[in-house]
Amino acid sequence: MNHQNLPHPQGVGIAVQDLKKRLGPNQALDGVTLNFQAGLMHGLIGPEGAGKTTLLRTLLQLLKPNSGTILYEDEGKATPFTDLRPSIAYMPQQQSLYADLSIGEHLEFFKELYSIPEAEYQQKSEELLKITRLDKFIDRPAGNLSGGMYKKLGLMCSLLRSPRVLLLDEPTNGVDPISRREFWDLLYRLADQKILIIIATAYLDEAERCAQVHLIESGRTLAEGEPRELLKLEGVPNFDALFIARSKRKEGPHATHT
Amino acid sequence: MRLNATLLGFVKKEFAQALRDPKMRMLLFVAPVMQMTLFGVAISSDVKNVRLTYHPRPNDTVLQHVYERALSSGWFVPAQVTTTDPFEQIKNGEADAVLVPPPEGLTQSIGQGEGSGQLQLLINASNVLRAQSTESYIKSIMAEVLKTDLHLLPTSSAIQFEMRILYNPTSRTAIFMVPGVMSMLICLITILLTSMSISREKETGTFEMLVSAPTKPWELILGKTLPYIILGMSNVPLILGVAVFAFGIPMKGSLLVLFFSAFIFVCTTVAIGTLISILTRTQQQSMMGGFLFLFPAIQLSGLTFPLENMPPLMKAVAYLNPLTYFLEMLRNIMLKGGDWKVIGSHLFVLLLMGTALTVTSFKLFKTNLS
Repeated sequence: MNHQNLPHPQGVGIAVQDLKKRLGPNQALDGVTLNFQAGLMHGLIGPEGAGKTTLLRTLLQLLKPNSGTILYEDEGKATPFTDLRPSIAYMPQQQSLYADLSIGEHLEFFKELYSIPEAEYQQKSEELLKITRLDKFIDRPAGNLSGGMYKKLGLMCSLLRSPRVLLLDEPTNGVDPISRREFWDLLYRLADQKILIIIATAYLDEAERCAQVHLIESGRTLAEGEPRELLKLEGVPNFDALFIARSKRKEGPHATHT
Repeated sequence: MRLNATLLGFVKKEFAQALRDPKMRMLLFVAPVMQMTLFGVAISSDVKNVRLTYHPRPNDTVLQHVYERALSSGWFVPAQVTTTDPFEQIKNGEADAVLVPPPEGLTQSIGQGEGSGQLQLLINASNVLRAQSTESYIKSIMAEVLKTDLHLLPTSSAIQFEMRILYNPTSRTAIFMVPGVMSMLICLITILLTSMSISREKETGTFEMLVSAPTKPWELILGKTLPYIILGMSNVPLILGVAVFAFGIPMKGSLLVLFFSAFIFVCTTVAIGTLISILTRTQQQSMMGGFLFLFPAIQLSGLTFPLENMPPLMKAVAYLNPLTYFLEMLRNIMLKGGDWKVIGSHLFVLLLMGTALTVTSFKLFKTNLS
């Protein structure tokens, strides 16, 4: 494994080795091996049902893998998950906010849930509200927010406690293009702060925005690397084409069998 | 300070969610008052408006007198007096009870047999409770007539009973029922609300956010239950107010003892609700689970059917039911002033149950999604 000589040893890194997880009849993760380098923005790219959500949930230990290992490292040293847990923020894919609580009430609740000191909260929430431009809607219930605003609120709740690792599960799913761009602008600001961001998305064009991409399908890694290099290597113009090419190559032998 | 902040956050959040929704406000504060009133008024075995008539004989002044006495008691209303077949009158529903004197008349009958006259009473017993009450009313009216009006003492019985009915001298059903309904309502509200609280988070997906937060399992459980203990307790003075001021139920015991007992009971029912919530995935399942507990719990609590009459197995189940204990405590505190032996032992059992349920909840609660 190459995680011992990472380019960015500062911060938290996660190495996943041959992870398998069965969910009912489905083999959600089928021996996935990945390396999330510290301080970078990683994209987990794959179609629906590829195993992205399951992978994120196992990283958070919300699901226990059937086999394989997850190694957490802090400043290059192996660290138990429980020590890192307070610094990991997560934004689930499904509606994870309270429809009947306003933006302000959400921030208050998560402040108390994460036990954030008042002064830090004041500064942080003000800053986040300004960046997301949600400050005008502070009293609006989450149930009445547009798709983009809802996702921004979700991100805001995760960012309240200045995480060192941020896991985002399809954060821009169902969001209009303009809101998506705004959301990504927000993520770029975070990337500058050298936190490890792992973002699962089904939008292939979002892959190019990440520092590292991991193409996942049927619970396995199809390809990974720096996005432009990956495209150059494969000789394709974009990730749509790359995905199709890789998928075909993988399915090829199976197709002749059946 | 971490603990306080997290719990406070939950209390604020649950309160905001529970109190903002007008339907929830109704369910929490209006419904209990309405149910108290409804149950207190409607569930009554006080027998009134019994239609009474008599079979007339010529010059039967004593029977006339008995009839008038009966009507003035307030329990009876007059039915048509005819010389038709008294059985027919009961059968076609003209009357609920008919006084049938011997052929020579009651006056004659008493005069002849030195105070040992005979009077037949026909009662429609298709409602047994009503029939029994009718019988005892007429008996007491007869005794009254014989003693005060005719100055005749019944000679047959050697012992005269002098009864004192304690704690409910007028035998009002409400005095027995209302404390029962109070405990039932507190049980109902706390179990339904709590059982839906965690499963609501599971159903809407917010649970994933909660368990992924660096919060300890006990903080999550306590955070989700504490608000419902407070909301449940806020119902106690409301319901007690209706009982005392609307139904005139005596409150002989100490308010402090009542509230403390209610607190222990609410903790126990909230623990049951939490357990249901942990075992279910959707609000619908929780609701079903809640009712699955509530129906037998209410039936086997002594609310309407005395525990003494139950078969041994059912009795055993009844004594595993926290409602049984709280109901007995509430009746004891309100009507008798509270006996420490009863309150103490019942509180002890409730505490045991609450602890066992809480431990089980903690064991079963998972801070993951598997």
